[in-house]
Amino acid sequence: MIRSRIAARLSVLLLGLGVLLAGPAHAEVTLLNVSYDPTRELYQDFNVAFAKHWQEKTGVKVVVKQSHGGSGKQARAVIDGLAADVVTLALAYDIDEISGKARLIPKNWQSRFPHNSAPYTSTIVFLVRKGNPKGIKDWNDLVRPGVSVITPNPKTSGGARWNYLAAWGYALKKNGNDEGKAKEFVARLFRNVPVLDSGARGSTTTFVQRGIGDVFISWENEAFLAVNELGKDRFEIVVPSVSILAEPPVTVVDKVAKKRGTEAVSKAYLEYLYTPEGQEIAARHYYRPRLASVAARYEKQFPKVNLFTIDDVFGGWQKAQKKHFADGGVYDQIYLAGK
Amino acid sequence: MEKIRLLLLSLAVWGAIAGLPRPASAEDAPRGATIEERLDALDQRQRILERNWELDKESAESKGKSAVVAGAGNDGFILKSAAGGFQLKVGGFVQADGRFFLDDEQKPATNQFLIRRAFLNFEGTVNRIFVFRIQTDFGGGKTTLQDAYLDARFAPAIQLLVGKTKTPFLLERLQSATDRRFVELAFPNALSPNRDIGAFLHGDLFNDTVRYAAGVFNGLPDGDTSDGDAADDKDGAARLFVHPFRNTGIEPLEGLGLGIAATYGNQEGKVDAAKKSVTSSLPSYKTSGQNTFFSYRSGVDSGDFSADNNVIADGNRTRISPQAYYYWGPFGLLGEYVRSRQEVRRNADVAALTNSAWQAAGYYVLTGEKNSFKHINPARPFDLSKGQFGALELAARYSELRVDGDAFPRYADPAKSAGRAKAWAGGINWYLTQKVKVAANYEVTRFKGGASGNRDRETEKAVLSRFEVAF
Repeated sequence: MIRSRIAARLSVLLLGLGVLLAGPAHAEVTLLNVSYDPTRELYQDFNVAFAKHWQEKTGVKVVVKQSHGGSGKQARAVIDGLAADVVTLALAYDIDEISGKARLIPKNWQSRFPHNSAPYTSTIVFLVRKGNPKGIKDWNDLVRPGVSVITPNPKTSGGARWNYLAAWGYALKKNGNDEGKAKEFVARLFRNVPVLDSGARGSTTTFVQRGIGDVFISWENEAFLAVNELGKDRFEIVVPSVSILAEPPVTVVDKVAKKRGTEAVSKAYLEYLYTPEGQEIAARHYYRPRLASVAARYEKQFPKVNLFTIDDVFGGWQKAQKKHFADGGVYDQIYLAGK
Repeated sequence: MEKIRLLLLSLAVWGAIAGLPRPASAEDAPRGATIEERLDALDQRQRILERNWELDKESAESKGKSAVVAGAGNDGFILKSAAGGFQLKVGGFVQADGRFFLDDEQKPATNQFLIRRAFLNFEGTVNRIFVFRIQTDFGGGKTTLQDAYLDARFAPAIQLLVGKTKTPFLLERLQSATDRRFVELAFPNALSPNRDIGAFLHGDLFNDTVRYAAGVFNGLPDGDTSDGDAADDKDGAARLFVHPFRNTGIEPLEGLGLGIAATYGNQEGKVDAAKKSVTSSLPSYKTSGQNTFFSYRSGVDSGDFSADNNVIADGNRTRISPQAYYYWGPFGLLGEYVRSRQEVRRNADVAALTNSAWQAAGYYVLTGEKNSFKHINPARPFDLSKGQFGALELAARYSELRVDGDAFPRYADPAKSAGRAKAWAGGINWYLTQKVKVAANYEVTRFKGGASGNRDRETEKAVLSRFEVAF
């Protein structure tokens, strides 16, 4: 006779076995960092350093998985359910979108880490072929007939939006803040773009590996990577007279981290970006470090550029996004007119 | 490599000559450009074409990977994520029956058309391994929750099902209602638990050579189904079924399956004369025509709630069932035996009664399709324009149920309950398509006892028909 106690024990045994099979316990934490296109190499190195640091500090093994793509596409993936513990995207607007649409992050996310949650900066430069055969020196050379320009699609790539706004800022400055002339300038520039990749890494492939175009409007770190890793005999970096200060931000995706029980390690992961070790890794991968001591060591690596900020010229990302990159915005008008 | 580049260049030139679409690119080489500059411009155009084609392809593949797949077919209507980890399937079936009796002078039941079953089910997968199923039956104008469970499929060999479903016991009972070869189940099913709530481990071992299931359930009287339990005691159930020749390559024997199943538990009914309440926890047995031919003594209908006139379950209940099937080509056999032992009580008298039943059934698909425990898939589905009429199958069955002789007369009334029933049935199944079936059965059931004056209950001659459509 099976009495209730035996039955209850059997039930517990069965369910317990199920639970054990479903989720064997490990002294290991897994994080997912959803990032933008050109940060692959940076975070490959950084993740190794952080894992070592975290294991030494806590005894817990941490494995950080990476996901890369156009910043806008990545933000949409997180909104659609990609379970990122942290996001390290190309621009603040994309994180605002995650906060506003999916409510996974509080609105004040940018105030939670130093420097508006941007642990490193970059800017936009030009990569040209060795010898600079088209004689490209500044933004106005990019609108000349016969110059083929490579840049990704601003609708999907954070880097492309920085490129676009850098060109717009230059045109405003050159034309006495005349918006009409800035629009015409950027429209002419995009008429010289034969291929629109969805992300910066794709554009690097287009320019470097497929041999398309005369000039690649590029993240500074991506341009350095192409020159140093793929051949100083093939490419040169041209620094324009003026460019934009790009501040790629980072944040913990609170609701996901809380659900997965990774809040503390996610926060520590991003904080580690600000440490001398983290800053050193960023600088090695051609991102401009925030920490003065590290910046001083890498001073010669980064050319001095006359930089403006998005707040200075466009009033912040929200305004810039709405005016230029929202559906029906200036970029759409330019793109449709050029088709 | 250089040859390939020259080839591509030539193609680009031909493309330009033939007026192929030009890429949105930089300006062509200016007037007065050298041959080399012109070739460079053509080369660039070719590269741009290739790259844009490459990006278009990547974009299409990316969209394909993330798109939700919707489908409709023999498996029902399906929505699933591109990677297949999440899935929702909506399906169901309707069985519209005709039930008629010949030579039924005593009119134990009426001739009628009825909706025997109208099942609607939702089955889904969450995170690839968690399968759920919710199935309701609207047959007979009632709403019954048939299945509601979560099945965690960790691996083929280790799966944990929690919820309401068929108790892993009897062979024909475990066959889907749309796959059965006769309109109604044979007698062994009267001694088997139906759908119960519990948790059990199950799985397939050695590439589906061995199937096992073992778990804990609320526990049910023979033939019963329930949505809860009035008693603390629970039943254990286990079943082992092997296909000893599966994967051996010996084709005539691959369709042989042998198994054994058992349940073990405790069932105690309750008589409360003060509250005028009787819970017998005992079964009654029905024919294919759904006429009750055996039941334990009960005074409830006459308003007698005394312990002396109501028989109840009172203790140990065991069931055991050896079972087998064999399928080869269009031919199929199914046989099973079940013995159900239950301790019963009438006032101060107790007895352990053992009832048993068995069946042997054979099937043959006249149109040559392969027979199996599952459905018949017509090689030539019904389509008049093509002169196709589907598949045709003949079926025959003998089944028998014996009630323990000690049940009479103390625990069952021999003037109302038969001690033995023997039934033979013949049937024809017409599978118009895999999902549409028409069936007709003729079944004759003879009884021993069950009528007043030591006479036998009237023989039941039932004509059972079914039109079935599934989706």
